[in-house]
Amino acid sequence: MSRKAALLQGTLDMLVMRAVADEALHGYALVHRLKLISGGRLEVPQGSLYPALHRLENQGMLRSEWRATPSGRDAKFYRLTARGRKRLESEMDEWRELSQAIALILGNA
Amino acid sequence: MNWLMRLLRRDSLERDLQREIDFHVAAAADDHERSGMSRHEAVRRARLELGGVEQVKEVTRDARGTRWLEDWWSDTRHALRAMRRAPAFTAAAVLTLALGIGGNTAVWNIMDALIRRPLPIPAADELHAIRRDGLEEGVYRLSHPLLVRMREAVPGGAELAAMSAIGSVYVVADRQPERVIAQLVSGNFFSVLQVGALRGRVFTAADDRTLGAHPVAVISESFWNRRLGRDPAVVGRTLRVNGVPVTIVGIAKSGFAGLTVGLEVDLFAPLSMQHELRYSSNASSSSNADPRKPWVPQNGISWLTAITRAQPDDIAPLVARLDAVFRADVAEAMADEDSVSRAYGMREHVVLEPLSRGFSFLRQQFGDPLRALMAGVGVILLIACANLAGLLLARGAARTHEMAVRVSLGARPGRLIRQTLTESLTLSLAGGAVGVAIAHWFTGVLLQLASAGSRAVPLDTTLDARVLGFAFAVTMAAGLLFGLAPALRAGRTNLHDSARGAGRVQGGTQRVPLGRLLVAGQIALSLLLVTAAGVFVQTFRNILNIDAGFERETLITARVDAYATRYARERVHALHDRLIAAAAAVPAVRSASVSVSALGSGSQRISSFTVPGRDLHPAESSAQENFVSPGYFQTTGIQILAGRGIDARDRKDAPQVAVLSEAAARKLFGTDSIVGRRFGYGHESNVEVVGLARDVRVNSLKETNPTVMIWKALAQVPDEYANSVEVRVAGDPRMVLSSLRAALERVDANLPIRDVAIADDVLRRSLLSERLVARLAGAFGILALLLAAIGLYGVVSYSTARRTNEMGVRLALGASPGALARLVLREALGTVVVGLGLGLALWIPVLGLTRTLLYGVSPHDPATMAVAAGVLVVVAVAAALLPARRAASIHPIEAIRSE
Repeated sequence: MSRKAALLQGTLDMLVMRAVADEALHGYALVHRLKLISGGRLEVPQGSLYPALHRLENQGMLRSEWRATPSGRDAKFYRLTARGRKRLESEMDEWRELSQAIALILGNA
Repeated sequence: MNWLMRLLRRDSLERDLQREIDFHVAAAADDHERSGMSRHEAVRRARLELGGVEQVKEVTRDARGTRWLEDWWSDTRHALRAMRRAPAFTAAAVLTLALGIGGNTAVWNIMDALIRRPLPIPAADELHAIRRDGLEEGVYRLSHPLLVRMREAVPGGAELAAMSAIGSVYVVADRQPERVIAQLVSGNFFSVLQVGALRGRVFTAADDRTLGAHPVAVISESFWNRRLGRDPAVVGRTLRVNGVPVTIVGIAKSGFAGLTVGLEVDLFAPLSMQHELRYSSNASSSSNADPRKPWVPQNGISWLTAITRAQPDDIAPLVARLDAVFRADVAEAMADEDSVSRAYGMREHVVLEPLSRGFSFLRQQFGDPLRALMAGVGVILLIACANLAGLLLARGAARTHEMAVRVSLGARPGRLIRQTLTESLTLSLAGGAVGVAIAHWFTGVLLQLASAGSRAVPLDTTLDARVLGFAFAVTMAAGLLFGLAPALRAGRTNLHDSARGAGRVQGGTQRVPLGRLLVAGQIALSLLLVTAAGVFVQTFRNILNIDAGFERETLITARVDAYATRYARERVHALHDRLIAAAAAVPAVRSASVSVSALGSGSQRISSFTVPGRDLHPAESSAQENFVSPGYFQTTGIQILAGRGIDARDRKDAPQVAVLSEAAARKLFGTDSIVGRRFGYGHESNVEVVGLARDVRVNSLKETNPTVMIWKALAQVPDEYANSVEVRVAGDPRMVLSSLRAALERVDANLPIRDVAIADDVLRRSLLSERLVARLAGAFGILALLLAAIGLYGVVSYSTARRTNEMGVRLALGASPGALARLVLREALGTVVVGLGLGLALWIPVLGLTRTLLYGVSPHDPATMAVAAGVLVVVAVAAALLPARRAASIHPIEAIRSE
């Protein structure tokens, strides 16, 4: 449990930014989007989602606005800023490099 | 949005967060409802999946980056509310802290002022004094001709200024002559120090050029305030100084009153005026000198301290040049002496002593006592901290429920630790604020206690930024010290324990609760303070009881200053007779005498003697001299062991006689049988010993050895002016003081009579630092006892209350109420015994450090320790008695039902 959380810790920001890169989403939708993209393999702890969103917003990576949802309730939608996009790209590059390296090591072992 | 904006928009952010989470829960609940759950169940499920609404909000708030500030603010408000809710506890806590912090700040402030604060002059660290080293103890005195030769030896370089020792003169401003503190200085004194004038001007070289021709003075601002009422027309005003009209040319820069810390000079006059002003303080003169003639041109009178400014690199070459001049001077002066004396004299050389912090007799007198006091107030603060830690722990345990509720609402351990610590620090800050006020007051009290007169010691002890910084640091350290244990305890709050409910029978989890350990620590510290108080009080009493060798209770001494008030030399002996006659005529006076050096005044005249047939080393041939009238021994009660005292036979034209004390007989003659033997000052042995007197301590009770004392007949020395009148009375001397003063004043209206006092009171003045330490150590001891009692009472009554249930069970099982009371008392005593054992083990080496401050009592005096331990046990029992009685009065059924 703690190892899984530790893995998520570093990657959660990246996953969140990736998820809102194409369209603005609110927190609840984000949970489902991440689950969907990962084919149900990845379940983000809902409790840590909001701190991540707020932290990224405070860092200027995300921007938010209140908008009505089809159900009629107002929700807070987040989308990626230009700065966030740059950061996402560099983090994705790093991630690819890292995962290639790990794959190499595991393959050779 | 930066963190400040987020902080300011906190409320709207908080609303947004709530809406956002609400939406999440609602949306999730909608989904669950669609899959067939009831609305209620769906909402519950949604919340569960989210991980708790409050928890999520809490961690999300952290992301704002303003949490520390918001928490601090809410913790502080919470702390203030908690303080208001328990006013008695808060008052006790703030007061004990304030005493501890205030005491530490005050003592530190005085130490700082005495030991660190530089003189109020520019670039004080450049200032140096020339000191003569190599003989028994360093001295600063140089003759004026030597000073001039030294100046010539350092052309163009360092400028040498000079000053006399600080003395007193009589000044008539408008009415009565008043005694003021005066110092003679060279014309360049103020320019070397770079001290300017507040009004008028300071001296220049032109003010000190011609012998006797410069009747001018510079006064200090304090003198201007105190004696001259801030007269705006003070510059140009004329004062009579020892009878001579002197014009005030200026007031020295604000705050400058000489170079001696703790002694303010009122009036500065030029060196060249020494003879005219009859200045005669602290000088040493060789046999060819005449102290009744002007000192400035005389090689044989050493009376000046030379000061100069020097950079670190210049010191060595400067010392070399000065030393060459000095040694040439010594060699010349000793040309006629024998080889032993010469070799001894040539050991002397000069050094430059840094003077950035000025001279101070206080530093010497109060240095060690202040360090002891600092340790004492430090221990008081430690006790106060242990006390508060114990009380807070007890209170914290009572609040277990509150903490448990907060934990169940999602507060994390770190949060609880921070909150509890904030409460402690808030408490500590309140104590610190009151403490600074106490420090201000206490500093004044200390300076008053350390002063012999009615005026407090003039020391610059403004509570400046450094002192306030110290107070703040002490406050924070204290807050952390006493707050840490309770905070960590709060952080360990666990739901399981508190769900069981506070106040149940406690299992074996904590056999030695931290609270009891803290009380044991307090007892240990208190034992130190109470023992220290005991040995310091005994020291003071022991010194007071030292046999001075003369009468103290029924002897009155008075001081006269015939020389300073310009009495003609021819009339002086008649004046002495009239003073004695006037005193003897006062009712209840049994006998009276006069002498040159007053008892217990510390004023000493030391001369070197030669004894035929004894080859005395120069360091072994000196003795203190006094010149006395007939009746001196009878009046003072100094006992004559063999031969006779000075009496009416010893007239001007009769053979020269002397009486020696036992110490003097042993030192100069090596034997007690000295009556009839002869000795002298130089090669001539023209003085006959007529009596042997019992040993005395004439200068101070603290003299380690009896004074090496020689008394000679005042009538046989034509140039001496008596400075002291001794009067022996029958009955209560206090009844005689004022009539004696009046009688002496009637002798001559122009002759000021001062300090008419009982000899015992005069002697006590030299015990100021001992008295100060004894009084304060006593106060600290009592305070420590009080704090220990509060601590013990708090912990015992708290633990008794906690164990009500257990007590009830014990009662129900057949224990008697008395047995319960004994149980409580026994446990309290157990804590005390542990504390005492701890104290003994730890403090024996610590108390050893006070040895230099003690007299006639060992720092580990078993009796004192036993009494201290006994007092602590009594206080502890008294503190535990109330909770014990409460335990005895427990009703078993109610106690068990109290769960």
